[in-house]
Amino acid sequence: MTAEIEPTANTPWVRVRATVEALVRPTSERERERRRIVALCLPFLTLLSVSGIVPLAEMLRMSVSEKRLVTAGFTLFHYEQLVTDPYYRTIAFNTLWFAVATTVASVAVAIPVAHALEKYELPGKPILLTVLSFPNSLPGIVAAFMIIVLLGNTGIVTNVFAVLSGRAPTELATATGVAGLFFAYLYSMIPRALLLLRGTYAEVNTDAEEAARSLGATPFETFRYVTFQQIKPGVIGAVILVFRTALAIFGTILILKSLLVWTLQINRELGAGNGFNIAGASAMATVWFACVFGFTLLAIRYTSAEVSI
Amino acid sequence: MAGRFRGRSLSARFGRPFVLFVFGLALLFLTLPVVLTFAGSFATQWVGPLPSGPPTLDHWEDVTMGTEVGADVAVGSSLIYSAGLAFGGVLINLVVGVPIAYAIARYDFVGRDWVNVFAILPLAPGIILGIAFLRSYPNLSTSGVALVIGYSLLKAPYMVMAVQSSFQSMDLQQLEESARSLGASWPRAFLTVIVPNAKAGIVAGSIISWTLAAAEFNFSYIVYSRGTPPLSIFLFNNITNASFLNAAAAVSVFFLLIALVTISLQLVGTRGARRRA
Repeated sequence: MTAEIEPTANTPWVRVRATVEALVRPTSERERERRRIVALCLPFLTLLSVSGIVPLAEMLRMSVSEKRLVTAGFTLFHYEQLVTDPYYRTIAFNTLWFAVATTVASVAVAIPVAHALEKYELPGKPILLTVLSFPNSLPGIVAAFMIIVLLGNTGIVTNVFAVLSGRAPTELATATGVAGLFFAYLYSMIPRALLLLRGTYAEVNTDAEEAARSLGATPFETFRYVTFQQIKPGVIGAVILVFRTALAIFGTILILKSLLVWTLQINRELGAGNGFNIAGASAMATVWFACVFGFTLLAIRYTSAEVSI
Repeated sequence: MAGRFRGRSLSARFGRPFVLFVFGLALLFLTLPVVLTFAGSFATQWVGPLPSGPPTLDHWEDVTMGTEVGADVAVGSSLIYSAGLAFGGVLINLVVGVPIAYAIARYDFVGRDWVNVFAILPLAPGIILGIAFLRSYPNLSTSGVALVIGYSLLKAPYMVMAVQSSFQSMDLQQLEESARSLGASWPRAFLTVIVPNAKAGIVAGSIISWTLAAAEFNFSYIVYSRGTPPLSIFLFNNITNASFLNAAAAVSVFFLLIALVTISLQLVGTRGARRRA
């Protein structure tokens, strides 16, 4: 028995050539359609390669570079450092607990806000909606400034508490502390969570809610067993989106600087104090990218949540 | 009915007030600093809880004309520069975003779901992409070209989503087949029939991706090295270096820009696109 391999058919190379030929000179309608799909997708895939895949691959190479000013050699030193150095482990821990805490808080605030917007008769709803989505367009540096306005030395909240407690505003100012940073993160994250939740809320089946109420359920029971079950995909989507956002926040922390998180340290590696440690920064950026990208793909794969941006 | 007779539950009594309280607090939290900053940009001083003193345009003048101290560049050049860069990004987004949105909405093909994921999900956030650009395109960063191509990748998802929501409301197959049966070639049907039909989504997508590119800080901060600073770098310099009231004026310029964009989006009236972006 000789398993003879046909030299002409089914070798990968021949198949590739046949596919390319069919794309260039299609003979059937099916092939023409395939050519259209490729032509439609090609511009985006080109952009994705030029400004996404190529630079990210270069970043990976930089992260294992032995030299600082040119990409050369191979070393895992920078990755080893991230794993073994307690300094970097603290930063990773800070990043994670802060992202989890701010995610939970912002989704917890966004649910009642979305509930009020969708279920209650509020005066001037279109204006309220515009005003509530306004912060979505503000970059993190502006969010930081907003928190200084609220909680800084001259901040209005600081001063209200100063009057109430009789202490000096400068003692009470929290804008440049961890609490201030917490609120600055919320400032960016609440409107994002809200955007997603409102979409889900709009699709809630009100008949089921009314049925529950008429069967004697309290408003909270109705919310917990009927409404919440229906908005669950939106809540999961909001958690994913907001958690990603929390990990990516950079401008806010760059101004308030009160907690050493991953993005801030990436920037510090590039600073003069660390001698423009681009290899170290690239290693940190690579780890960061792998974690967030993997997390998002897993989230999409295993939840039915509609993950918007 | 039994529940009714047991007296009103806690949530019936306090549920609505509690929800409204959280709503009010969140509304105040999100809007109060915006209002205060805008008011403060016209104030002569801001040492107490509220900006005070007779109204003045000094800080706006500093921001629009530029001063010798702190953030010394005038906002005008930054604004025009950023507007141009963002516009370049939008042009690229139109070329790449509209076709791929159509491919995903109209055709069924192998790997469509993955193409969709990559088209509507930002691949990497600004700071990571910025680091990746540093040595990949070192010579392009000073000319602004690197900024344009970076912006276009970062903001492409918004364009794709806005255009997709337009396409989803149309019967694409019928539209395409009618045009073809009337004698149009496929490229002609696409460009003269299908694209104009998605105009609302395309305009909304352009406005959204333009605004976000003009405001992009994280990527600009890493990639920008010298020359005219983009608008967000201008803002950063003002927030960190200028007096508090000048910073308030600089941030207010930005508010006005966003307000303008919000109004134009409402005029375009594509509610579906706005909800998603």
